[in-house]
Amino acid sequence: MKAKTLSPEKDKKNINHIPMDASEKVAEIIAYVVLVLLALMAILPCLHVISKGISNGTAVAAGSVIFWPVGFQVEAINYVFTRTAFFTSLKNTLIITVVGTAIAMFTTVTTAYPLSRSDFKGRRFVTLLYVISMVFFGGIVPAYMVVKTIGILDTYWACILPFAIVQFNMFIVKNYFEGLPTEVEESASIDGANDIRTLWSIILPMSVPVLATVALLYAINYWNNYFHVMMYTSSASMKTLQLYLYDIINNSAAITESLYSTSFEGTNYAQNITTEGLNAAAVSMSLVPIIAAYPFVQRYMISGITVGSVKG
Amino acid sequence: MKKLVSLLLIAVLALGMCAAASAELLGPGNVTLKRLSYTCPWDPNNDYMVPIMKEATGYDVDFYALPSNDADNKLMLEVGGGADYDIVTVNINQWRMLLAAGALMPITDLLNTYGQDILAGNTDEVWATLTQDGDIYGMPYMYPHSQEITSFLVCRKDLLNAAGITELPKTISGFYDMLVALKNFYGDQYIILTGPLVAASEGNDSWRIPKCITSAFGIYSDWMVEDGKVIYASESPKFVEMMNFFNKLYTEGLIDVDWAVNSESAVQEKFVSGKAIICCGSRALVNFTTAAMIDQLHISMDDLCYINPLYGDDGVCTYQESEAINQVSCVLRNAKHPEDAINWINTKVQNQLFINIGVEGVHFTYDEVGQISPINPIFANERGDSYYYIDATNAADYQFQWPSRIRKSAGQWHAFNATTITNPDLSIFVKNYFKFMPASEAYATNNTALYSSLQDLILQMMAGVKTEADLATFANDFANNDGEEVRAELQAYYDSLAK
Repeated sequence: MKAKTLSPEKDKKNINHIPMDASEKVAEIIAYVVLVLLALMAILPCLHVISKGISNGTAVAAGSVIFWPVGFQVEAINYVFTRTAFFTSLKNTLIITVVGTAIAMFTTVTTAYPLSRSDFKGRRFVTLLYVISMVFFGGIVPAYMVVKTIGILDTYWACILPFAIVQFNMFIVKNYFEGLPTEVEESASIDGANDIRTLWSIILPMSVPVLATVALLYAINYWNNYFHVMMYTSSASMKTLQLYLYDIINNSAAITESLYSTSFEGTNYAQNITTEGLNAAAVSMSLVPIIAAYPFVQRYMISGITVGSVKG
Repeated sequence: MKKLVSLLLIAVLALGMCAAASAELLGPGNVTLKRLSYTCPWDPNNDYMVPIMKEATGYDVDFYALPSNDADNKLMLEVGGGADYDIVTVNINQWRMLLAAGALMPITDLLNTYGQDILAGNTDEVWATLTQDGDIYGMPYMYPHSQEITSFLVCRKDLLNAAGITELPKTISGFYDMLVALKNFYGDQYIILTGPLVAASEGNDSWRIPKCITSAFGIYSDWMVEDGKVIYASESPKFVEMMNFFNKLYTEGLIDVDWAVNSESAVQEKFVSGKAIICCGSRALVNFTTAAMIDQLHISMDDLCYINPLYGDDGVCTYQESEAINQVSCVLRNAKHPEDAINWINTKVQNQLFINIGVEGVHFTYDEVGQISPINPIFANERGDSYYYIDATNAADYQFQWPSRIRKSAGQWHAFNATTITNPDLSIFVKNYFKFMPASEAYATNNTALYSSLQDLILQMMAGVKTEADLATFANDFANNDGEEVRAELQAYYDSLAK
């Protein structure tokens, strides 16, 4: 019998390979099947909505669009882009999210750092104030009056400043700072660095994981904020994507009814802009920024689940 | 939260009343008005209607819109916070909230000075509704066609004809015979009758059973008046007979087996895809279904026909008039330019045809009988959004002008013409006695729950889950949910009308 020979490369690969027994293989297959099903559960609704947004209006009305477009058209998307406040809302949401996250990170870090230092006098009292404000919310009417009194109603600041620090996020960062070795700070101090230099050059570079995670939490908070933006803004030009989506979904029947018309010759105009098609087009277009950004922030979302859980 | 906001509102208004508004008309070009209205999916300041209104009135206006959700709280919060909108156009319940909170400016004198066309455009009965302690507090935008058949049945005439049915039924027994004939001919090939339409965009037709069928049993609303007494639909002498009829349709497979769970879009899909022969219809539904069916099923407009409200075998047919006031425009106490606000609205009423319908020969023509016929697509493209900017109308003129908005859609006009325009029997319409009733506590608190229970009972009796024997339990639940208190309020209001 001829001895079985393997190339050196294959030998190297097989050194650490432990063959699976039958039960492990079955478990792996089941795991894959479950994961595929879960993935489909996430993908198929999106496919359904996108397909409706670009399908022929009569096919949408007849319910014949499932996961693939029927009779491709872009009238509904064109309407969303040209006749609704989609781009204004997207711009507002991006400004609020980007500027808000930057401001929130600044306030969070500059609050968390002193509160994480044991030699900061009054640390317990200030921390207690944050805990109290985290547990008790004054309510929307007092909050509205504060926003009105400082004169920022119906501005970007009304959508940013009330959420410039989220206590929970601040405590995550504070706890992370407390876990850093004090020796590093001491050596920086010996080298002549003041507190600000220490924070900027030593602490922050060592805290990139928690900062990225908390920044992501802030960004999600700003992106998804509906209720407060709705209460603090009035102008159509200040509408964010969340408000826009609510409004277009609740008004799509009225929009389509006012658009739809027939010429004397029997040509139907705006036939492709149906209630469901319009909703689908607006929702699909709103998904694009999230889908585009997700691959870049995915790992921080995963680390966000565990960050701050080691030391509480 | 509403109570808290109301307290805030009163405090702010007390201060606001000290601040004087400009007491003279500044006129077009000298002022920018602020108008707040209901939710708007587009930017109301960037719509094609804005320059059209500017051309007609000369006024610059900044438009603001309430959100689609939480609009009441947002409105009260804004007004309580001292908002200085010159015009607020809201639904009648929101208007009542503002009035009760003391947020509105009396406008009788302003209307007499600057709003003669608005005053002349509406009846004394309507103005009385918007008057408190001798002062007018709002301007009405009336529902333009109160005697509209908002609920009807759309039928596939081609399938009816193939089954040997050439004449549409007018009575409830004729209707039943038609359904049986269709079932015998087609078997399970088609759903004979699909429905309901539970999300009708206008009117009060979100019933689980179509009102064009309940009409044959003398039932036209949840609250009705019989011999001067306010009764609930379930107390109507023919309620049980009606439910037995629907149960018969259900058990004999003459109506959609999914009736209880069908959404509006599901009903639409079944009809458009050709699975159903008859469908509960509304003006909003046929706007799309007719064109979609022509496209998908390759039928023509003539292959569709409509069943109007049915008569009972005793000749009875009752159908309630549509609600009367669509929107109310009012002026806030904090408004900076109330005179110009009224003047702007009055100028819009003077130019009602131009602003809302357009220019003859460009946007519309007059047909052989003198009705307005829109020219498409320019009518839809340049006047389609005009409805959003209406604050008040000359009601009589608008009743003539408004059907052109339906006529811009051939499918919608086909149904409207067959049901409302050519329906000769106006005697079927029952007045909605409670359309102008002021807000009352028990009604506001409990009627939604009562209505929901009634709709549940209707579905359960239709499916045979509940029977006549369960009506006593329903009556007990009705009483426990303060139904009698609601009835007392309605009865008191009805009695006050009789005086």
